[in-house]
Amino acid sequence: MSEADVTKVAVAAAGATAGEAVQGDERLAYRGVFQRLLVRPEIGAAIAAVAVWIFFWAVSVPFGKAGGAASILDVASSPLGIMAVAVAMLMIGGEFDLSSGAATGAFGILMILMVRDVVGDVAGGNLSLWLALPASLLFALGLGWFNGTMVNRTSLPSFIVTLGSFFILKGAKLGFSKLIVDQIQVGKLNDLQINAEATGESDKGYGILRKVFAAEWQRNDHIWQNRDWLYSIGIFVGLTLLVLAVYELQFARKSRMNPVGIGVLFAGILGAILGVWWLHNTDDVTGNWIGAGIIGGSMLVGFYGWCLWRYRLSGRSSNTVAVVEEDQAGDGSSGLSAGAVAMLGAGIVSVVLAVVAALAFDPNNSENVSWLVMVTEQGLRAILFIGLASAGAVFLLIAASRARKSSQMMGSSLLMLTALAVAGMAFFIRSESGTPKFRTQAFTVMLAIAGVMFVWSIMSMLFEERRYPDVKADRLGRMIALAGVVGLVTGLVARLMFIIPEEADGPLTKFSVRILWFIGFTAVCTWVLGRTKFGSWTFAVGGNKQASRQVGVPAARTKTQLFMLVSFAAWLVGMLLAFRLNTIQASTGDGEEFEYIIAAVVGGTALTGGYGSTLGAAIGAIIMAMAVQGIPSSRWNSDWRFVFVGAILLLAVIGNNFIRAKAEASR
Amino acid sequence: MSTPLLELDGIGKFYGNIIALKDVTTTVEAGQVTCVLGDNGAGKSTFIKILAGVHQHDAGVMRFEGEEQRFTSPRDALGLGIAAVYQDLAMVPLMSVWRNFFLGNEPTKGAFPLQWIDTPKAKAIAKEEMAKMGIDIRDTEQPVGTLSGGERQSVAIARAVYFGAKVLILDEPTSALGVKQSGVVLRYILEAAKRGLGVIFITHNPNHAWPVGDRFLILNRGQSMGNFAKENIDIGELTSLMAGGAELEELQSELERAR
Repeated sequence: MSEADVTKVAVAAAGATAGEAVQGDERLAYRGVFQRLLVRPEIGAAIAAVAVWIFFWAVSVPFGKAGGAASILDVASSPLGIMAVAVAMLMIGGEFDLSSGAATGAFGILMILMVRDVVGDVAGGNLSLWLALPASLLFALGLGWFNGTMVNRTSLPSFIVTLGSFFILKGAKLGFSKLIVDQIQVGKLNDLQINAEATGESDKGYGILRKVFAAEWQRNDHIWQNRDWLYSIGIFVGLTLLVLAVYELQFARKSRMNPVGIGVLFAGILGAILGVWWLHNTDDVTGNWIGAGIIGGSMLVGFYGWCLWRYRLSGRSSNTVAVVEEDQAGDGSSGLSAGAVAMLGAGIVSVVLAVVAALAFDPNNSENVSWLVMVTEQGLRAILFIGLASAGAVFLLIAASRARKSSQMMGSSLLMLTALAVAGMAFFIRSESGTPKFRTQAFTVMLAIAGVMFVWSIMSMLFEERRYPDVKADRLGRMIALAGVVGLVTGLVARLMFIIPEEADGPLTKFSVRILWFIGFTAVCTWVLGRTKFGSWTFAVGGNKQASRQVGVPAARTKTQLFMLVSFAAWLVGMLLAFRLNTIQASTGDGEEFEYIIAAVVGGTALTGGYGSTLGAAIGAIIMAMAVQGIPSSRWNSDWRFVFVGAILLLAVIGNNFIRAKAEASR
Repeated sequence: MSTPLLELDGIGKFYGNIIALKDVTTTVEAGQVTCVLGDNGAGKSTFIKILAGVHQHDAGVMRFEGEEQRFTSPRDALGLGIAAVYQDLAMVPLMSVWRNFFLGNEPTKGAFPLQWIDTPKAKAIAKEEMAKMGIDIRDTEQPVGTLSGGERQSVAIARAVYFGAKVLILDEPTSALGVKQSGVVLRYILEAAKRGLGVIFITHNPNHAWPVGDRFLILNRGQSMGNFAKENIDIGELTSLMAGGAELEELQSELERAR
């Protein structure tokens, strides 16, 4: 029996009771929910970003606060993030630009020189900013054009060509700075404002442009009483939608929706609202528990209603699926394969070790561990506990997914076991932890994760998994997931940007407009890469230049435009630097080009070209920024930063290769 | 008889004092398959490159729909509707089927700079065109690298047909394929001819050429060994002519002795 026949039989058997027609193309092999998601290159980076954040959040005090988030986003946005996104596009197009780092400083210096009136012995350009900006932009695009044309004309590796332009830029920056201002720095841009105030002359556009490039949002000035309501609702709705999205991707749809389900769904929603009301109106511990219990129970009822409404109940038919699937799993009827048992064992051992490790160290000791100079005992405890606990959870999840291949019921049971293990660890750290962060925050988060997994396991026991592709359901599922992410982000942004009156005396936190530039630039590049001709051609010239030329893609022009995109980004970063710092050092940006490349690679971009993602590069930049901020705030010596960056790079490359191989194999 | 789609009369090509191709004459009719057979180094690639506009011929006359032509670039040939599908297929393995199908000619919506690819339309057309060739592609989002050799070939052929090719030049489409896959590709060739294209099928395998060909041009060492309609030749003659006749007999007897 061929594979297609097997699937057909399985689907036919599954649909037999409901008498349904097969949806979609039966020759497409079924891919699991997560395999379908992992096809995107940036998903791996997103998971890594969450993992790194949790790691630093656990070991450092200021990391989880708004100020920590502000400084991470600040470091991530510019120069690193904007440049990483542009460099990722160039790398997808199959080229490198080693001059991109030095260029960031060069265009800032150039612009300042054009604006200054008298500079040392030589007169400056004395131009208005409204002229100096476009003029320096022209120079920037010229550099990109030069790099691109040189690479195309000489057919030399871009590595060599742009290494040449790197040294030229580096030398020119130093040479001109010393020649014109006799210093190794060029400034000060804010003299324009001081001058204007003193003499009453025009500030040459400085006031407006400073707002554009260097405005700041002072969080402490923005009080919003109801901030936490939006935060809670955003997180709550976002998580709920994500769960529903996974259901939509996971379960088999009914041919006719069950209206009873809608009733149950609304009962669940009403219950949850009641629970929230209860929670809001009680203060004692018992009341909180009752409120949380009501919410949890209602959520369960609501999810059940949703599933009852839309999906097929698993019944006799699931046995048929299981039998057919065993052909592929290659295992007997015992239900658990050897691999699943091994993973189950590894998972349980890891969880036990996590608890042992947490007990072995004194939670209140924040002195450095003698044999490991850079980590405090408390930090080591957190590292061991988090590492082992998450390894345990991952092992258990793998065991569950392996078991699912032979039996849906067995897989769901293992998932439930995982949920119980996570809940158990949550209660353990609540009673055993020395730091308040772990007592309350980690407890809440872990309990929420356990709750989601618990609900999930119950639903996967009751409802039938979809083993055939359903494009419509996939699309709806992705849309719900997107809505969920929007909800989560809305909640987080509200939390980060506003304070409630009680926080009025908190530390000063600022968000720079650079973050908006970063988000906007990433959004535009992502749209261009994914939706336009130019984006398609970028992938094509990086994937197979010869072939794309043969079918009429202007390969040389595309590459030159990519180089010009990078130098445009360098110009933008130069302006952001100039208006923030007012003075730019001659060495600004030198050597940073490799950090851009690392961020792009961490984000899933292939060094060989033809594969990658701008969104991934942006996430890669955030990961790097977390390393920059997290290491000193964990009270480790920041000299170790590069060790961390190097390790992340290696892990990312290995992980990306693995994920890509998986994704390709699952096609 | 109507004017042939493409007519070649005494075509020759010289690289300095080296004669790469000499006195080649054949015709390509709409809806028919002209096979070009030859061993390695027979001048097949030079022949295609002249037809596709990569090289120019130094002797003879090339007529397209009755008018004399001399191509200076592949763009000229493409403009008239002569499309070449090369051995490496001009595909980007990591890109999806529909993106490869439309690469360089993407259908767009909106106006510059807000111009984007009409993805649903592109996917639908790619799927439909492949179906017309008799291939039901599973998922147009699939990367081309994961397709089998025959399927890739079919994407390349369907692409050339969709973009208005009148003459389709296939350079050794079956050489890297197994028996079954080759059969599939031969079917696509017949399918393309049935849709009214003139097909030039270049191969070194007479067993592949014989079942699909209507006309056979045999090249050996840059010389035309003959230009036959199917009724004037049989497969045995074809094979022996291709290898230079006498040479093959000699080789055969030598091998007999060696055993």
